[in-house]
Amino acid sequence: MRCHGLTVHGTNHRGFCVPTVSPVFLRPTRPVTRIAFPKATLKNEGLTMEFSFYELLGIPESGSLMEIKNAYKQLARKYHPDVSPPGRVEEYTKRFIQVQEAYETLSDPSRRAMYDHDMAKGINFAFNARRRRNYHDQVVEQKTEWKSRWQSQLSELKRRSSSKDGGGNMSWAARMRQQRDELSNESSNDS
Amino acid sequence: MLATLSLYFFLYEPVRFPRLIRSVCLAFSLKSIVHHILLLCCIAQRKRFVVRFRGLAKLVCGIETDYVTMFELWMAEPAYIVTSDSETTGEEKSSTFSEIAIGIDLGTSQCRVAVWSGSRVELLKNTRNEKIMKSYVTFKGDTSSGVFSQPSLEDEMFSGATIFNMKRLIGRVDTDPVVQACKNLPFLVQTMDIGVRPLIAALVNNMWRSTTPEEVLAIFLVELRAMIENQLKRRIKNVVLTVPVSFSRFQLTRIQRACAMAGLHILRLMPEPTAVALLYAQQQQQNCHENMGSGSEKIALIFNMGAGYCDVAVTATAGGISQIKALAGSTIGGEDLLQNMMRHLFPESENLFQSHEVSEIKRMGLLRVATQDVIHQLSSQSIVQLDVDLGDDVKICKPVHRSELEEANKKVFQKCESLIIQCLKDAKVEVQDLNDVIIVGGCSCIPRVKSLVANICKGKELYKDMNPLEAAVCGAAVEGAVASGINDPLGNLDLLTIQITPLAIGIRADGNKFVPVILKDTAMPARKEVIFTTIHDNQTEALIIVYEGEGEKAEENQLLGYFKITRIPVAPKGIPEINVCMDINAANELRVLAGVGMPGSYKHVIPAMEVRMPSVDDGHGWCAEALNRSHGATLDLVTLLKKA
Repeated sequence: MRCHGLTVHGTNHRGFCVPTVSPVFLRPTRPVTRIAFPKATLKNEGLTMEFSFYELLGIPESGSLMEIKNAYKQLARKYHPDVSPPGRVEEYTKRFIQVQEAYETLSDPSRRAMYDHDMAKGINFAFNARRRRNYHDQVVEQKTEWKSRWQSQLSELKRRSSSKDGGGNMSWAARMRQQRDELSNESSNDS
Repeated sequence: MLATLSLYFFLYEPVRFPRLIRSVCLAFSLKSIVHHILLLCCIAQRKRFVVRFRGLAKLVCGIETDYVTMFELWMAEPAYIVTSDSETTGEEKSSTFSEIAIGIDLGTSQCRVAVWSGSRVELLKNTRNEKIMKSYVTFKGDTSSGVFSQPSLEDEMFSGATIFNMKRLIGRVDTDPVVQACKNLPFLVQTMDIGVRPLIAALVNNMWRSTTPEEVLAIFLVELRAMIENQLKRRIKNVVLTVPVSFSRFQLTRIQRACAMAGLHILRLMPEPTAVALLYAQQQQQNCHENMGSGSEKIALIFNMGAGYCDVAVTATAGGISQIKALAGSTIGGEDLLQNMMRHLFPESENLFQSHEVSEIKRMGLLRVATQDVIHQLSSQSIVQLDVDLGDDVKICKPVHRSELEEANKKVFQKCESLIIQCLKDAKVEVQDLNDVIIVGGCSCIPRVKSLVANICKGKELYKDMNPLEAAVCGAAVEGAVASGINDPLGNLDLLTIQITPLAIGIRADGNKFVPVILKDTAMPARKEVIFTTIHDNQTEALIIVYEGEGEKAEENQLLGYFKITRIPVAPKGIPEINVCMDINAANELRVLAGVGMPGSYKHVIPAMEVRMPSVDDGHGWCAEALNRSHGATLDLVTLLKKA
């Protein structure tokens, strides 16, 4: 499996800053406790990165598919480069990519389940690489494959959570929903 | 006064001096004082004053001279500017938002132009009052000219001086089967069959004069631009151009270059069916307003088949947002139908037309036109009499049945079917979920095309509220208005199209595999990354070769560029983490970024690289092969496996 964009909550995501904005490139992020990968930060993004996909779309975590779609469309109208004000295209484009990512994840039931699980475990997806960068899986989204990936995901999560101070740096949302998510995860494992 | 003006102009504007004299002479009438003011403003390049004074001048002394046009004539650049050779289209300028971009549907055989005129899309007509302009350029003597004043297509086509099908030739190397198929067109397409750009030439004064598809397109666009400016009475700069889905990024740069040569700036490039999708979104929204409907999501399949390309798109539309779900495209179209039919009707045509003698070119042209007519007529009749005299006692006189056309083009139609099925699959949409099926393009009136689409869509009725020939250009004009920041009080421009990448973009890794970084059908703008690692111990350099396409093997795809990462820290294989990130920005520019990380390190250990793609130049089909030959597998990468 590809090494994908899992990072420990509280760390910054890795990736590159958009080069046209500033030559400040690959700036080390704020001090982090556990890090496995070189980090770079997107400029002016300190805040948005703390948002979960739900917060980014401005919907409750119980939001229905309809709500997700509507929220996405509203935000797309705001941030898409075709309609954003001329001076802010760069900034809005970054936002659009985030919103797009959130939408793609949440509008797909299996990926939403995985995301919910990761959130519950206190693992925050980095915004640029948070998608399971496994193109085979995305191309062939077969249930069996999804399941096997799910299993390896779980083992990885266990490994990680055993090596850290169990849930101490979870987000509030994650803590609140942990119990429910674990229930739903169990049921999705059964299916 | 005259002297002052002359002096001013002589000193500052020597190029425009003769034109000034003419205008000044014009101006010396009774109302000369007002004229002078206006003239001075023109000279001082103050358009705003000219516009303001015009009304005053008309009111006070009845001056009718159109100084605005005059001003623009002065300011007009020479007809054919070749701008610098760079690939860059530049940042979007602020002026982008002050004028409405023109929509151009630059087809393989025909071209249409439209613009948003305040409340609706208006199609522009040429001087002969036609909305359709044939996309071809005839070379004459030392100068070249387009078609707008040409009396007849046939006469021109037989001379060998007319170049067309540029859209099929542009950005292709001579090993490409599409280029090979162009060899029996009535002009010279010479190939070396080694992966370089083909030689294209027009017969002028009994001499083959070489040209390039970009140049031909640029000449065509210059004419088009002159026509548009003449009608709109303003200068134009920004355009929205429709392109085939299957165009690679490299081909898009060729189109951009042609536009730059013609002094046009491409605001957006839209795959043809996505332009149709936007028009559909607009219509749905208007319906929605009328019926006070809820505006639920509607899914439409769009099938577009023109002369050169066949494209399919699936779009989900709600509330004026057209979200493209999947795209599929291929280089098949009316041109293939025509060539297959020519072979069918006149099997020896290929051997006959090898030497490109003048007489042969004439025959080729005759046969072409006759076959084209037959195909057109077969759309409405089931049997047509073909009657063509090719000279030298070669005459073809026979009835042609519609089934012959369908039989000769079986493979083309099969390919169309597979494209539609593929596109539906990629979009994860079932046929019964489709709300509308739209079929557009020049081939949409062929009964077989209609029936094959209807068959796949289980007999669903085809969408009727669209002119199949004008849908793409209307969509482009709407996008031109939206992207130019134009507001419509009635909400007709409350639209958005969310485009996707028609092809995957990735690098060569894992042996000779193509590993996508940005997948096909990813929403744009986009930014994705994949991590790779070295395959040799102590490997300090890695070659990043960027491809675009759908093939599993690297060389099956279009090469976009390459660069080398050096100074990778010495480490056992599999340890360094080479982070390859691809970024497509709002202007659809692709940047490839690569950085090297080591486990335990907080930042990239060497300065990262950022390379704008495509960086390859014309026709370097052999480039990847040469890279492979000289570097072998020593600089290879593999995708980083997750550590157990």
